[in-house]
Parts: sequence; structure tokens; C-alpha cells
Amino acid sequence: MTPTTRNTLLIACGLVLAAIYLFPLYWMYVTALKTSTAMFAAPPSFVPPNPQWDVFAGVWVERHMATYLKNSLIIASCSVLFIATLGSGCAYVLARYRSVWVDVGLFLVLMLQVLPASLMVTPIFVGFSQIGLLDYPRIAVIVAITAKAMPFFVVLVRATFMNVPAELEEAALVDGNSRFGAFFHIVLPLARNGILVSALLIFMQAFGEFVYSKSLIQDVELQPASVGLSTFMGPNSVDWNRIMAYASIYVTPILAAFVLLQRKIVSGLTSGALK
Amino acid sequence: MTTQIEFNAVEKYYGRYHALKNVNLTIEKGEFVALVGPSGCGKSTLLRTLAGLEKITGGEVKIAGELMNDMPPRRRDIAMVFQSYALYPHMTVEENLTYSLRTHGMKKKDAQEKAREVAETTGLSNLLERYPRELSGGQRQRVAMSRAIIRDPKAFLFDEPLSNLDAALRVHMRKEIRTLHDRLGATSVYVTHDQIEAMTMADRVVLMKEGRIVQQGAPLELYDSPANQFVAGFIGSPAMNFLPATVGDDGHSLKLELGDGNVLPYPGELEAGRKVTVGLRPEHLELVSADEAQFSLKLRIAEATGATTFLFTDSDPEIAVVINDRAAVTPGEALNMRIDPEQIHIFDRETGVRL
Amino acid sequence: MRKALSTLWDGRGFDLLLVGIPLVFLIAISGSALVYNVIMSFQEVDIFSLGTFFRPFVGLDNYIAVLTDPQAWPIFGNTLIFVLCSLGGQFLFGFFLALFFNMQFPGSTYLRGLFLVSWVMPGLVTGAIWNWLLAGDFGVINFFLESIGVIDDPIFWRSSPDFALWSVIITNIWFGTAFNMILLSVGLAAIPKDLYEAASLDGANAFRRFYTITLPMMRPTIGALLSLGLIFTLQQFDLFAAITDGGPNNSSNVAQYWAWQLSFREYDFARGATVSVLMITLVIIAAVFYVRSTRHEVRG
Repeated sequence: MTPTTRNTLLIACGLVLAAIYLFPLYWMYVTALKTSTAMFAAPPSFVPPNPQWDVFAGVWVERHMATYLKNSLIIASCSVLFIATLGSGCAYVLARYRSVWVDVGLFLVLMLQVLPASLMVTPIFVGFSQIGLLDYPRIAVIVAITAKAMPFFVVLVRATFMNVPAELEEAALVDGNSRFGAFFHIVLPLARNGILVSALLIFMQAFGEFVYSKSLIQDVELQPASVGLSTFMGPNSVDWNRIMAYASIYVTPILAAFVLLQRKIVSGLTSGALK
Repeated sequence: MTTQIEFNAVEKYYGRYHALKNVNLTIEKGEFVALVGPSGCGKSTLLRTLAGLEKITGGEVKIAGELMNDMPPRRRDIAMVFQSYALYPHMTVEENLTYSLRTHGMKKKDAQEKAREVAETTGLSNLLERYPRELSGGQRQRVAMSRAIIRDPKAFLFDEPLSNLDAALRVHMRKEIRTLHDRLGATSVYVTHDQIEAMTMADRVVLMKEGRIVQQGAPLELYDSPANQFVAGFIGSPAMNFLPATVGDDGHSLKLELGDGNVLPYPGELEAGRKVTVGLRPEHLELVSADEAQFSLKLRIAEATGATTFLFTDSDPEIAVVINDRAAVTPGEALNMRIDPEQIHIFDRETGVRL
Repeated sequence: MRKALSTLWDGRGFDLLLVGIPLVFLIAISGSALVYNVIMSFQEVDIFSLGTFFRPFVGLDNYIAVLTDPQAWPIFGNTLIFVLCSLGGQFLFGFFLALFFNMQFPGSTYLRGLFLVSWVMPGLVTGAIWNWLLAGDFGVINFFLESIGVIDDPIFWRSSPDFALWSVIITNIWFGTAFNMILLSVGLAAIPKDLYEAASLDGANAFRRFYTITLPMMRPTIGALLSLGLIFTLQQFDLFAAITDGGPNNSSNVAQYWAWQLSFREYDFARGATVSVLMITLVIIAAVFYVRSTRHEVRG
């Protein structure tokens, strides 16, 4: 077998595997474009016979997706902002030093990373309602997500900071900078890529967050798109083409961002997750 | 001469680990001092306490008469060249050079003007727009040097700046750094583990071991009269031969304990029967005819490098001899050696102190 | 005072500030929530006593109530099945794909990366899509299974008590396979190629090389991955919400979903907290294993 035939064969296998794995996504888009009758046709058609392009606009208006997505955006952006601001400094210190206290801090962070949201939401709900934070439900969700996702961010970004040589920072100190200046002029710019990629991952998580939003936000006007989708589905829904249209609108921006930045996201994830 | 740098009874602990033990060192203005020693001896730590990158646990550090103990690095007015060069990878060469000027508040235009001047003298003029990753090792080294000299600091600190270069470039940069030092009239402290670098560049060599200064002095002073066996073994290449010996009954001879009763004459006077260690530099041993020889040992192996030949004897401990000639002896034959008695070093067997 | 301020810019104070604020925040939210959870599990909490901290303590009553609930053991059993099957499935598919993409062909890295979309999508969307894929009468999975002759009649994945849990497990395997594959790929890539060459020279065939080199060299990665997978699996909530809602009749319910249901459907916060405490204890034990298996890397 020559190298070329080997490669062709492997590429073909790879494409088939990817096609099987990503079929659910394809099916989401195809279903969205089908009419109600085409959707329930047997056997199902794999290319929509009569694509209904206006379904997206219809679902957008009818399901108030603008409000839902706006809330998702607000929640995800604010969470990422808090997490990146607080978490970067924490990750930096945990990366720069080696001592018993750093190990303790790291252990604490790793432990907090693993607490399931659905188990933490009970005390958070009761506690937040007692201190009155539930009157501002979006802020409550942002605080909860920040506490939940920051440890993961710290773990990822710490790996980035470990790759910034300490000598660079020392050179900046000798060159006349304070710790503060050296951190902002030298260390942060060099870790920028890692921080951005990790922030993007956190954003994607927060954009799809469900448990806290579902439990802490009662007001429909303030709920994010994930809660909107769960309301839409209901127990016995048959509106699958429109649910899939909703899902497509919701997920396409994330997919686009992922496909564009795939290489960086994957490498950012692999450098941190196992360390 | 005025004193530029002073260490008075400096102590440094990392937790329980005692990294610097009562270090006292004074460096004059304009002096080039090399800190040398095996790895872990505290030479880098000492340099870093001078830079302010490590805090000292006890004693005092002064620069230009001013107490520096609690001074952050930025207020010490020193420049440092790092082993990895520590060039800011996200800045061009010019930005690297002007960075310290800018943090000290110089106007951008003036700083760029100064950077061009310095680049002129260090041969970086046409590289100013490049990024560090686009430079060769030697060029990076030059940028690191330029970044240090652009500021006219009170002292230059070098932390093994040549160890990432290949051998030929290292020899070249050695001379260049020394020339630069003389031209600027600077005060330099240079850390290296390479005794040749220290010997060739420095006005004064400070040899450290286990957090202490063992000996300091002019390079040849350390070579000619090492204070103890450690210094004798560290300075000089190839390293000095050490042989166990007993002082003869007359106090003027040394019975070598090599198993075949060889005796060396000794001009000085020593207590008879004392156990000592004899130090013979390989380059001081001469090969002579059998009747002129002070002692003879069998040759085990000869390594010819062209200009010089390294000979190793078949004895325990092995003795190395360097000759500037091809070897006329083949392995297994007797190597007849003599040495000028003035060149013999004697150390106490127990303490290693020079006698 | 001046000295204290200057250490913020030049010394230890800077580090303490950077690490202190986030840790205080984390402890204030997550740490106090953990403690409050434990306290509530020993209290009587109802919708009327929500607003006060001083609720009657009831000792172990909540724990007894939870553990003697006829639903409890089937749900714990489901949790075990869910965790084991999800972990196994994700790992096996992930390992297979990682081995395949480790063969290095043009575009392999890009293609491999694409798989990870399953991991970055909102869980609710994944759940919704699989809910529809697994639909009984019109689901495309049933269509495939029928056309290749595996089944004759459609399986009612979500509504049959025998299959409901499996529909979530299948979805969760799809969701987690990519993540497993990526991390296993990293481990595979780290095995020095000359080990395989040496083994080939020693006469080992592909099968033997896998058992004598790949698996032993991958042990740290696999250990870390399985503990990480356990942690992620015990966090899975969205798929239950989107596919079966724990039903029918709790046949697909798991502890982490049940805990939420107790609190937010039945407003029995005390029992919700009790189940949470039990599960969190389990998660923390798993996390300690995770940290231990990556310990050699923790200090990096």
C-alpha cells in the first residue's frame, strides 16, 4: 500500500466517522427546515423536500428569542468578565510559586471545580433568597455561575501562566517596573491567548447554562435561552421542526465560533485539563 | 577607588535551607567581579539578592553606599542580563531596548534616539524592527546586552549570559563583554559556573561553595595559591591531580601512597609523618628520561588532540599529564615524570587547607 | 501604612491580593453553600421557614427519610448504572477514535477537533436533538435500527421504563466521547515513537504492542480521565431535564436530578439538601482520586 492510498483510505474512514458522529447536528438543521408533514414522513427524508426557510424568523418572533438570547448573552458575558478578572490573578499566583500554601490553594480550587451545580443549587437558592439576592435573579445566576466555573478557568489559565518564563517578569522588575506593572505589561500580554481561549470556553458553558437559571429565575422576561428551550419542549411536544429551529438559532453562533477557533480551543483545553 | 557594592554578613534562608552563609564582599567602582562555583553554591542567589529579586534574611546589601535591603528592584538602578536573555517576546528589538527608559519616564522620541545610538555600537542597527523570535542566538545575546547598557546603571549583573551559546561564539562574546565593560567604565558582577570564563574576564574571582565565599582574589592568585583543595580542584583545566602522601622523616620529602614507593622532594619544612594530600597540576608535570625522573608510573591511555596530548597513568588514583607534544610513550610503558618542587601544592589530608 | 501600601505594588501583598479576592469569593459562595447544605440536611425546612436561619433541628430524620424512601434505592441504582455505562461508553468510543486519529493523516487533527462540538454545545440543545432522534414513532434512530433489521417494532426510548435511562446514557456517551478522545489523544501522542520501533524489532505484533506499550504508558492519563469522567457524569443534569425528566415513574431518575426535584418540584429543601450532601461526599471522594492521579503533574 503506497502512502497516498493509505492516506486516502484513512481520510475516507475519518470522514465517515465524523459524519456519523455529527449526524445529530445535521438532523437538527434538516428537521428545522421540514414541514410538519415531511417531519413525520416514513421513511424519513434526509434532504428536506421543501425547505421552510421562514421557520427561523417565525420561531424567533413567536418564542421571544430576542429576549431569551439577550439574557443568555448578559449572563454569559458578565460571568466571563468576573471569572476572567478574578481568575487570572489567582491562576497567576498559583502558577508562579511553589509552596505548601500554593498546593493548598490549588487543592481547594480543584475541589470546588467538581461540585455539581444541581447539588449546590439547593443551598444557594435558600441562602440567596435569605440575603435578598433572588430579587435580582440574573445577578444571582451570574454569581452562582462565577463560583461554579471559576475553578475550571483557573486550572486552564494556570497552565498558560506556567509557560511564561519567570525571568521575563524579573527582567521587567529590574528594568524599573513594579510587580503591578510587570504583571500588566509583560505577563498578561504573553498569556493573552490562553486567557482568551479559556474565557471563550467558559463563555460557551455559561451561554448554555441551565440548572441555576432554571432554579433561580422565575420571571420569564429574565430567563436565558436554555430555559426558553426547555419551556418550548414541554412534556408531549410534537412541534419538533420548530424546536429544532429554535435549537439551530441558539447553537449556530457557538458552532461557528468553535469551528473558527477549533485549533486554539482544543490546544488550550488539552494543556490545562489534565494538569 | 570608591566602593560601589557591599555585602555585609548577608544571610539567606529558603525555609530551613541555608542558601547564603555570612557573605561579605566589597566591589569597587569599575571592577569586573566573577562569582563562580559549582551549581547550588549560592552564586546566583547572591546575584539575585543584589538585584532585589530575592530578599535577604540577614545582614545588609548596599549599592553606592545606600542600604538596599527593602528596596524593590526598580529602585536599585541596576541592569541585568539573564541566562535565557529574557527578551520580551511580544516587543520588537527597539521596544525591548527602550522599555526600561520608558518605565523610568523618558519621552518616546528620546528613548528611540538612545536605542539607535546603542544599536549602532552593538551592531543591531538593522534589526531594530525584528521580534526576538526572528533573531539568532548570538543576536539575542546582543539585544540582552544592549538592553542593559542603554541605561547607564550603577551596576551590571550577568547571570550565566553565555551558557546558551555555542563554544566559538562564547569565546568571542567573552572578549566583547569585557571590552564593553572597559569602554563604559562600568561595575560588573558576573555569575558563571565556567572557571575559564571567570579567569579570562574578571579582575577578581570570587569562588563560592555551599553558600560561603571560599576564596577571592585575582584570577592567577587563585590558580597559584589556592586556599584549599576545593579551590585547587575547581580552578584550572584539566583539574589538578590529588595524591595521598606522607611527609618523610626529614620533613623535606613526600612519600606518595601509590604503592611503589615513589618519593617527591619538597623544598619547605613539614612535620615528619604527617598525612597530606599532594596537588600536582597536569600542565606542571614534565616527561623526562628515566634517570632524571622523580617518579615513574605506567601509562594507561593517551588522548591526542593535536596541539596537546593528555596522558593518564595506570595507578590509583590516576594521574593526568598534559604535554604540548605528541606522546613518545605507548600504553603499558613507564611514564617518567618530574615536577618543579615550587609547583607542588600541599593540603592537609583531613581539612583540605593549604599548608 | 506606606509600607503596607507599597507591598501591594512591589511585594507579597500583590500576590496575596490577586489570590485572596477570588479565594474569598469562592469560599463565601461555594464554601458557605457546602456548609449550609450540611446544616439544612439536619433541619426541618419548608416553604414557610425558608426565610429564617433558626429552624428546628431534627437530627438524622432527613437521612432516615431519604434512605427509607422506596424511590431512593432504585434511584441510587440508576445513578450507578448511569455512571458506569456512561463512563465505559465514553471511554471505549473515545479510545477507539483516539487510536484511529493517532494514525496521522492529512487533516486528522482538524477532523478530530471537530468532534469536540458535542462538548461545547448547550446541554439542553444536545438533549433536545437526541430527544427527537430517539422519538418512538418518528425517530430516525428507530428507522435506522429497523432498516438494518435489529428491531422489528419501534422502541419507545423515552417513555418505556426499560429504555428511558438508556436514552439518557446514549446521549451522554455521545456528549462525552469527544472529550475523552481529545485527552486520550494527548496521552497517545506523548508516547515516544521509538518505543514502538524497539518493540517491533523485538518481534511484537500490533496487538502485543498495544498491550505491552500503549496501555501501560497510558495508565496515568486513563486514571485521570476516568476520575474526571466520573466527576462530569455526576454533574450531568441538562440531559435528564431535556429528555426524560427522570420519568417515567422515576425509572430514569438519578440522584443529582432527584435532589433538584425534591427541592424545586416538591419544595422539600431539607431532603433535597440531604441527597445533595450524600452525593457531594461521593463526588469529593472521586475528586481526591483525580487529584492524586494527576499529583505528579499538579506542581508542574
